[in-house]
Amino acid sequence: MFLKNVTINLKKYSFLLQQLVSRDFKVKYKRSVLGIVWSLLYPILTMVVMAIVFSNVFKFSTPGVNYLAYLLSGLVMFNYFNEASNLAMSSVVGSFSLLNKIYIPKYIFPLSKCLFVGINFLLTLVPLYIVLFATGTGVNIYHLLLPYAFICLFMFTLGMGFILSAVSVFLRDMFYIYGIVVMMWTYLTPIMYDIKMINESLQPWLKLNPMYHYINFAREIILYGRIPQPFTWVTCIISAVFVLIVGVVVFKKTQDKFIYYV
Amino acid sequence: MIKVNNVSMKFNLGIEKNFSLKQFFINLFKSKKNKPKKEEFWALKDVSFEVKKGEVIGFIGSNGAGKSTMLKVIAGVMKPTKGSVEVYGNICPMIELGAGFDPDLTARENIYLNGAVLGYSKEFLESKFEEIVEFSELREFLDVPVRNFSSGMTARLAFSIATVVDPEILIVDEILSVGDIAFQQKSEEKMKSLIGGGTTVLFVSHSLEQIKKICNKVIWLEHGHIKKIGPSKEMCKEYYEEQVK
Repeated sequence: MFLKNVTINLKKYSFLLQQLVSRDFKVKYKRSVLGIVWSLLYPILTMVVMAIVFSNVFKFSTPGVNYLAYLLSGLVMFNYFNEASNLAMSSVVGSFSLLNKIYIPKYIFPLSKCLFVGINFLLTLVPLYIVLFATGTGVNIYHLLLPYAFICLFMFTLGMGFILSAVSVFLRDMFYIYGIVVMMWTYLTPIMYDIKMINESLQPWLKLNPMYHYINFAREIILYGRIPQPFTWVTCIISAVFVLIVGVVVFKKTQDKFIYYV
Repeated sequence: MIKVNNVSMKFNLGIEKNFSLKQFFINLFKSKKNKPKKEEFWALKDVSFEVKKGEVIGFIGSNGAGKSTMLKVIAGVMKPTKGSVEVYGNICPMIELGAGFDPDLTARENIYLNGAVLGYSKEFLESKFEEIVEFSELREFLDVPVRNFSSGMTARLAFSIATVVDPEILIVDEILSVGDIAFQQKSEEKMKSLIGGGTTVLFVSHSLEQIKKICNKVIWLEHGHIKKIGPSKEMCKEYYEEQVK
């Protein structure tokens, strides 16, 4: 019943969703000279800076695999989460002038942000593959399994987006709190270092982080050329679906009260 | 067409206080007894009425009487605290023009974006695109970002998008004419033809002249209650007399 309602609703508002996503795209690049090239350039430049800092200054290395490929594969996925969850968080508060006047299903705002950043994410796969080829890492047949990790990542991010956007309506401090949380999250996720570098007693704690598993799933394929362990498959989908359900429930329960906090 | 059943709408005036984290934690540690009771404000109290198809209803009342809240509840923007609203037919809310315009997008792009926000379908917008451009008289500025528009031009564009529909229910909150004198006349004509076209209209205005001209029934709101419902001429007269008294 609920799912049926959602599909009818999505069909009705798909044009609006499409317009919102394309609006974000146009606005993002309209006034910059390089435009969409930035989507390709930005992850590469971030990677270069981080690679210089962490492999030269801190002497991080990942035995057996190329450090650049290791870094960028994690970075691309975490950047998606970071950007999409942040944009989704402010999307409802940012649309209050609209929500105050016209009936629009409110979930459409976090959803459109996650989709918009998602398309951007697909573009950042181009520099990732360039680096994979340039560093001699290459590709293999298992790359066809990667969409599984991406879909889990999307569901997880969307769920987080729902939770954050709903909470931030009632508690505007969330914008500041989350900035710090994401910073911690970035360092607690093995993006620039290998989890094996961490004290063994701490490793299980780091593995409670769903982001670790999505990135790990992708790295198993991209860097080590093997199918991820069944445990990784299960952890990915369970954490993603769980967070998405929690997000939907929180959002649905609170959305009628949003209007009082305009 | 529209059935409003015992609708009440409560606002917490003290809601602002819970905005910061500091206050949030202070409230956590305060005992329940010491907590100041939130100031409650009932914008609407037990309002019921029915609107039949094709009726043009005017809402009158002083500021803060609950007119705009009533429209928002009917438009689905707010859920009533108590009671229910039944609406049969698609609603076109002209509560504020140009809601959802993005200043960085061109007029052409904003027509699609704003149209989508108003709930138009893609096919509908494509078929009406020419009509919108024609009516707004902004053809030569189609590819100019809206941030470079004057406020009059923006209002003209917004008006043209909002009125291109053929809605079953039209909700109008004080926007009868925009732009320069020529366009004001044109937009007033357009409003009249929309209203006269058999549409059900809910109209809020402080201009009794307009209400008398357009509406056939008036709902008089006072402090969230319905004070009276009746034919527009009598109601306007009575209302006016009470106001000047």
